[in-house]
Order: sequence, then structure tokens, then C-alpha cells
Amino acid sequence: MLGLDFPKINEILRWQDIFSSFNKIGLIAVLAAVIGSAIFLLAGSKDHTVAPKGIRNLAEIIVEFIEESVVMQTMGKKGLKWTPFLLSLFVFIYLCNVPGIIPLFQMPATARIAIPLFLSLLVWIVFIGTGLKHQKGAYFGHLLWPPGVPVALKPLVGLIEFFSTIIVRPLSLTVRLFANMLAGHILLVTFALLSEAMFQAKTFQPFLNIGGILPFFMLVFLTGFEVLVGFLQAYIFAILTAVYIGTSIEGHGDEADMAQAH
Amino acid sequence: MLRAVVTQVGEAFTVHVSTVPPTTPPAQETSTSESETVHDANTTVNSDGVVAKDGEIGHTTKELAAPGPNPIVPEVKEVIWGAGAFIVFALIMRYLAFPKLKKGMDARYSGIRSDHEQADATRLAAQSDVAEYQAQVASAKADAAAHLDQARQELEAKRTARIATANAAIAEMRAAATAENDSARAAVQSQIQGAVAEVSSSAITLAIGKAPDAAVVSRVVDEVMSAGAAR
Amino acid sequence: MEAMSHLVNAAGTSTPTELKAQAAASSAGFAYGLAAIGPGIGIGYLVGKSVEAMARQPEAAGMVRTTMFLGIAFTEALALIGFVVFILIGL
Repeated sequence: MLGLDFPKINEILRWQDIFSSFNKIGLIAVLAAVIGSAIFLLAGSKDHTVAPKGIRNLAEIIVEFIEESVVMQTMGKKGLKWTPFLLSLFVFIYLCNVPGIIPLFQMPATARIAIPLFLSLLVWIVFIGTGLKHQKGAYFGHLLWPPGVPVALKPLVGLIEFFSTIIVRPLSLTVRLFANMLAGHILLVTFALLSEAMFQAKTFQPFLNIGGILPFFMLVFLTGFEVLVGFLQAYIFAILTAVYIGTSIEGHGDEADMAQAH
Repeated sequence: MLRAVVTQVGEAFTVHVSTVPPTTPPAQETSTSESETVHDANTTVNSDGVVAKDGEIGHTTKELAAPGPNPIVPEVKEVIWGAGAFIVFALIMRYLAFPKLKKGMDARYSGIRSDHEQADATRLAAQSDVAEYQAQVASAKADAAAHLDQARQELEAKRTARIATANAAIAEMRAAATAENDSARAAVQSQIQGAVAEVSSSAITLAIGKAPDAAVVSRVVDEVMSAGAAR
Repeated sequence: MEAMSHLVNAAGTSTPTELKAQAAASSAGFAYGLAAIGPGIGIGYLVGKSVEAMARQPEAAGMVRTTMFLGIAFTEALALIGFVVFILIGL
């Protein structure tokens, strides 16, 4: 009706390379690493004897959030040595998500599949490695057959468990993060384009030019929503990693059943 | 009628657009390039807007700004940069930032905990001090009460002693008075007896003309008087 | 898509590839829409039950919330796979 000309998906996801083999996604990833390191290094260098404030307070809140809500809820006390890894995952993913709403960037680095895929494969290697380290060769037995499976069902259960653990886990981790951020990005683009088109419409001017405020409000609301989504996705990635590693440490337990529910 | 042939050399794409007679079916070339575009998304691009305008015949080459593979396919350079950034970040966090931060947090928490314990100890000491003070106060109070009791007892004893002496004096005086009284009454009684005996004996003498035995008279008077006194 | 159809239009005939592309383009929307139904119901049910549990036992709210997020993550994955399929076949 409006003749809204929606750009092709690559047009809203790809940018001109900054230089050969380095593009905006790489830039955001590097910036995320630099900013994350800077925050925590600065926080570590502040006086630790007084009550924390400013950057140290921020860093300590994040650390305690990871310890309380991610590690303690899934792995318990013996998982505390995984805190640095989960903390890095959380902070890195969050800092890669947040540029989606920062002006001039306007692109979450995780809306491209490269970074989620790499992180998922890393988590995959880590949890299988942890399982092998903690349970030796028995890990694969635990992985394939939960305790109490009748012998007759073993081939079927083994096949399902193999797929769900070895293939579906990393894939779903990747797709969850990537697709959430991509969907958010597309939503933002849609409403931004719609507002622009309505503000600049040449036909039905009084109606369209004023009505353009509605998609603009929606855009503002969605921008706020994306902050939440960026945080939530980083949190979910971290907590699922914790659950997977916890399963590898303990073998099959309640958490294992929960983690393999899909 | 336009005919487009897309060829790829490295990252650059060349599009040859040429007019062909409409009789020849030109679908072969384009469909192969399309199938490449669809299936082998790693290396091909959608040729966006490169079809030459009508009449522009010949050889046009255009470097594309934004085209890329299907977004499902990861790009190697992004994977490499992302991986490098994350690994460096994770190592920094693991070996530099986190241990220092955590050490500071633990130190402060243990400091706070020891402060708490110290405060608890101080409070306990203060409580024992208070208890001691209260004990002292209690003993002082007990002392005072004992003193008071003692003084009261002494006073009591003195008072009872005085009362006793006073009572003794009074009793003595009363006894003396009683004795005096008794002796006076006895004297009066003996006088009355003597008088009554005399009167009786004289009356009897008058009546019978003969003086009665003095002993009998006195005995009878005695009996009558004591009977009267007893009545 | 657009470029491909340009090329194909330039060719002037309707090839099987083009037909396939048209079918894909028209069914991409359905792929996501259908994939979103189940997870939508599932997430609604899940969150509703979690709120019920939290209201009944506020002291267990932290644990319930963590489990709820895990459940949402697993349920949502199905919808997201639909979204990815949408991108895959819609292009």
C-alpha cells in the first residue's frame, strides 16, 4: 500500500569491509573484548578495602550475578571455578549484543552467525572435555544412556541422546542467540523504515506524516526491549553453558533430564 | 532481450550483459549461475542491481558493496575475529582481571566478616562488663540491706530493752503499790475485825450476860467476814 | 531474490528454479508463522505456571525463575528454528 521498499536481508546485515578481512562485526567483537577487559582490569585496580563504587561496583555486581544466578543455581558450590569462563561468555555476548541499539553501530555482532557459532562450538568442546576429564570413558556411556533404561530401548535412547547432546545442543545454542538478535535487528529496521517512509510520504500527507509517530514510538519501545533481550540472551547462553558443564561433571541427574528435555 | 553471464574471480564479480537475438533460449547460463548462488553460498553473491539498463550493451564490471552469502552461513573472517577477540578476552579475564577482582572481594568480605566477629566479641565483652557491674550493684544493694537490717535490729533490741526496763519499773512500782495497798487493806481488815469482834462480844455480853470466849468470837467473825468477802 | 528474478526475467522463460524460488518466497512466511504457534502456547503455559509457583512459594522464587528461563530457552528454540528456516528458504 505504502510501497515500502524493504531492503534485502544482506543489505541490513553486511557492511563494506573496513579493510580487507576486517569488517564491522570484527570491529564490534574486538571492541567488546577491549571494553570488557578494560572494565574488569580497571575494577580490579581500584581500592578493594572500601565499599565499592563506580566501575568496581559494576564489575562486582556482574560477578555476583554470575555466581548467584548462574553457577550456584545450576552447578552448586563446586562449579565456582567455572565462574571466570561463564563471566567472560556473559560479558562478551552482552557487549556484542548491545551495539544493536547504540547509534552509529546499530548492529548486534551476534546477529551474524559467526560469533554464536564459534562460542557454541567452544562450549561444546569444553563440556565434552570436562565430561571426559571427570568421568573418563564412562562419560560416553552416561551420555548415551541415562540410568534405568531397559536394554530393549537402548539403541533408540542412545540414538536420541546422541543427537540431542552432540548435535542439537551446540546448534540450538547457536541458533537461539543468533536468531534472537537477528529477529530483533530486523524488527528495529522494519519500524525505522516504516517511520521514515511515513514521515516522507508524498501522498495522504496529513494522515501519513502525523501517523508516522506511531511506528516511531514502537521503534523506541523495541529499542528498550532489545536491551532486555540482549541481556536475557547473554544470561541464557551462560546458564545453559553452566547446565551442560554441570551435567558433564555429575553425569545424569535432575539437571541432566531438564537439560535434555528437547 | 538481455543476456547476463556472471563470472567470479576471487572476491570480484563480473557481469557481462549483452543483447542476444530473442530466438535463442538463453536460460542455460543464467540458471547455472543461479544454482550456484543458491547452493554454494560460501563463495557467490547475489548480483544486486547489476543488470545493465536497456540499451547499455557490452562489458560492465561492478564491485558490490553489501552483497554476501546467505546469513545462515558463517563468514570466515568474522569467525576468526570473533574467536580471537573472545579467546584473548577470556584469557585476560581468567588470568588477570578476575583473580584480582575476586581476591579483593574475598579480602573485603573476610574483612567485613572479621569486623563483624570483632563487633560481636566487643558486644560480648560489654555485656559481661554490664553483668559484672550489675553484680556489683546487687552486692552493694545487699550490703546496704544487711546494714539496714542490722541497724534496724539494733534499734529494735534497744527499744525492746528500754521497753523491758520501763515495764520492769512499772511492774515494780505496781507491785509496791499493790503491796502497800494489801498491807493497808490487811490493817484496815484487822482493825475492822477487832472492832467487829469487840462489838460482837459486847453485844453477846449484853445479850447473854456473859462474855463469850474471845477465841470463838474472833473465829466466827473471821468466818463471816471471809464468807462476805467470798460472796 | 530480486537480482535472480531480474536475470530470469531477462532470460524470458520460467525455469524450474524460478518456480521453486517463487514457491519458497510465498511459503517462507508460513514457515515462521506455523513454527511460532506451538512455542507461543508453550511459553505462555510455562510462564503462567511459574508465576503460580512463585506466588505459592515466594521463598523458592529464585529457583523457579532459573528453571523458567531454561524452559523458555528450550521452548523458544523451536520458534527460532522456524525463523531460521524462514531466512533460509525466503532468500
